[in-house]
Amino acid sequence: MAPKVRVRRRYTAPRTVLLVLAVLGTLISAYLTWTHFAGLTPVCTGSGEGCQTVQSSRYASVLGIPVALLGLIAYGGLIFSTALWRETGIYLGLLISLVGTLFSAYLTYLEIFVIGALCQWCLASAAIMLAALVCATLAAMPLLRGR
Amino acid sequence: MEKNSTLRSPRTLLALLVAVAIVVAALLVVLSQLGGGGGSVDDAGEFYSGIPQDGTTLGEKDAPVTVYLYEDFQCPFCGKFSREMFPDLVDDYVRDGDVKLVSETMAFLGPDSVTAARAALAAGEQNHFWPYSTLLFENQGDENSGYVTDDFLRGLAEDTPGLDVQKWEDQRAGNSFTKELKAVQGKAQAAGVNSTPTLIFKGPGGQAKIDRLTDYDQISSAIDKVDGS
Repeated sequence: MAPKVRVRRRYTAPRTVLLVLAVLGTLISAYLTWTHFAGLTPVCTGSGEGCQTVQSSRYASVLGIPVALLGLIAYGGLIFSTALWRETGIYLGLLISLVGTLFSAYLTYLEIFVIGALCQWCLASAAIMLAALVCATLAAMPLLRGR
Repeated sequence: MEKNSTLRSPRTLLALLVAVAIVVAALLVVLSQLGGGGGSVDDAGEFYSGIPQDGTTLGEKDAPVTVYLYEDFQCPFCGKFSREMFPDLVDDYVRDGDVKLVSETMAFLGPDSVTAARAALAAGEQNHFWPYSTLLFENQGDENSGYVTDDFLRGLAEDTPGLDVQKWEDQRAGNSFTKELKAVQGKAQAAGVNSTPTLIFKGPGGQAKIDRLTDYDQISSAIDKVDGS
């Protein structure tokens, strides 16, 4: 009889890294959400026009919800997932980071090919989300191997 | 027993999870494409893309025909013109460089006209006068009903693609554009403009004026006339 593999520790290495990434992402999206509602221009290196152009584009909101706020919700969900025990947390983390990465890829595509401007904060968030997906996948590996 | 373990297999769960993630992401993409606060705002970005803008001038600098638009942002007929005929005018003549448009912004219907005109001229400082004025007309309220509030104007600025809203606020606060508005008043007097919208056409073939605009054909024939070719 094969031993049943359980993730006994809440914070394996990938999940710890995932938590750190989620906190970083939360800070970035909180900042962008704040600038959105306060009507400010995000601090951007270079001329700073990239962030302004991207944040004032028609793609900056989905159904009136700022994309930055969606990011904040996603990163909050990731933090929550790392606090959950065992499989549930792992599956939730994987689901959120996969949706986040797919949507970030689409947003980055928009920045480059449609809006024609790059926003460093958005790119940083996309990179963090991708790294979070890698961590969430690594965290889910023991579940797969267990069968 | 066997069925139960297949259903609970991590592989099945993961496959299901990936499928759900793809569906959710696709839904977000579709909603993002639909969004943007309705058709008008979408148009402002795409509509003006590729057309040179310089202050209150729209179109190629060396276009043979120039059309001067005397408008007041609160005037209902100007709004109607902007919504119904202006897009065709741009598509038929401005986009390919035959005509350039110069907005002669008037502000005589009330204090709100002045406020709206200043906001648009401030956007013009960043060469975004035209999309901003389109949004003003698209969202036009009843004359002197007090709809031209700071929040209203700021909302339009935020919806103007590429406009630096903070810079726009600074320019709006720092310049009342009195000189520009007075200059237009002088030009309107000299040209005998006493209602809006009035369109004055100038080209190699002469000059034409429309002050009772009812039909798009009037615009086409005026352009043909002054074009001279």
